[in-house]
Amino acid sequence: MPKSLDQDTIILCRSCDLAVQRRALPSNVRALCPRCHTALYDVPYCSVNGMLALCIAAILFYIPANFLPVLEIHFLGSIRATTVYESAVAVWVQGYWIVAVAVIAAAVIAPGLLILSILLQIIIVKRRLHSDFWQQTYRRLLKNHGLLSQLSMLEIYVISFLVAAFNLSDFSDIYLGMGTFCFGMLFLVILFLQREYNLEHMWRMVHEE
Amino acid sequence: MTLCGTCRNINAISDARCSRCYSKIQPRNEQSLQQSWALLITAAILLIPANIYPITMLTNQGKVTYDTIFTGIVHLVHSDMIPIAIIVFTASILVPWLKIAGLAIYLTAISFNLPISKKKLMVGFHIIEWIGRWSMLDLFVIALTVAVVNMGQLLDAKPAPAATAFALVILLTQLAAKVLDTRLLWDRLEKNNDTN
Repeated sequence: MPKSLDQDTIILCRSCDLAVQRRALPSNVRALCPRCHTALYDVPYCSVNGMLALCIAAILFYIPANFLPVLEIHFLGSIRATTVYESAVAVWVQGYWIVAVAVIAAAVIAPGLLILSILLQIIIVKRRLHSDFWQQTYRRLLKNHGLLSQLSMLEIYVISFLVAAFNLSDFSDIYLGMGTFCFGMLFLVILFLQREYNLEHMWRMVHEE
Repeated sequence: MTLCGTCRNINAISDARCSRCYSKIQPRNEQSLQQSWALLITAAILLIPANIYPITMLTNQGKVTYDTIFTGIVHLVHSDMIPIAIIVFTASILVPWLKIAGLAIYLTAISFNLPISKKKLMVGFHIIEWIGRWSMLDLFVIALTVAVVNMGQLLDAKPAPAATAFALVILLTQLAAKVLDTRLLWDRLEKNNDTN
């Protein structure tokens, strides 16, 4: 990959534009900007195969997490259950579509797209797809990665199961369904996937002619 | 040299497009301050209906009660669920208010060159960026509750007007933080030549 010398040794802080000299770092150490303490870089520790494994695990959990019941209520002999997807629909039906869109974007769409985006990136890197079309796609995926990871809020959803369950335990018996387990696992897998993923590192894999 | 706003690649200031991701190069986004202010003010206005109006409507054996964010938390405290109450209080009252106040301080500091330590402002900004997502908690809880509790007159939960306002507050504050080009703060620092 052709690169000029100063690109390798000097970096600019993204928050305050200070020029910092890049130095070799031991693993698990993060370089902070000396002026504004924004995280600058760390040793990229992303193994493409590890990410692929996590991606596949995430996809396996994604489907049951969204379509199996997460919360069950037993009330006077009748059982009601809801899935993540249905909960958003229920709010939409009540006329609060902004809330519904926020819920479905943060809990269903963004995590799903995030997994698919990383999977596609891995495939492009692993299969060395260097044609213009794939490199364009790769760039587009990387550009939108920040947005997707900011939008997916699985950890908050996991906490909200508990809050909702405790909230409702006043009125009736609450059971957490199989969906909750899958959703919890999905959250864990994505947590590790994002730990492994390094955007800067992925950018460096852009194939330049 | 300047950073590409999208992929953080280093480019010459004279370049029109980033050599790596082909997006347009903008050394500074001067408009971002104004955009950020606009989003923040809208969010601050919406924060009032979000807190005054009820956010959920609960029918229990024919009796309808409306809950605002605050009375919901009071209920939790009364039913001895203090830890849950603390989580909900942090997510739906503390975080939005702190975020709006924090961003307002941050933006005034840039706009009027206030002599506040830039380092402290930056730490605050990172906290705001990170913690802002947690406000979504309340919306998730509402959605789950509404979906699972619908048994007509016996027990029924519905969202109420504040839910939309609250959703917009979260959305707009997140955008306000994202839109802002934090390098503007440090540029002013260099102009003023103060050392904190």
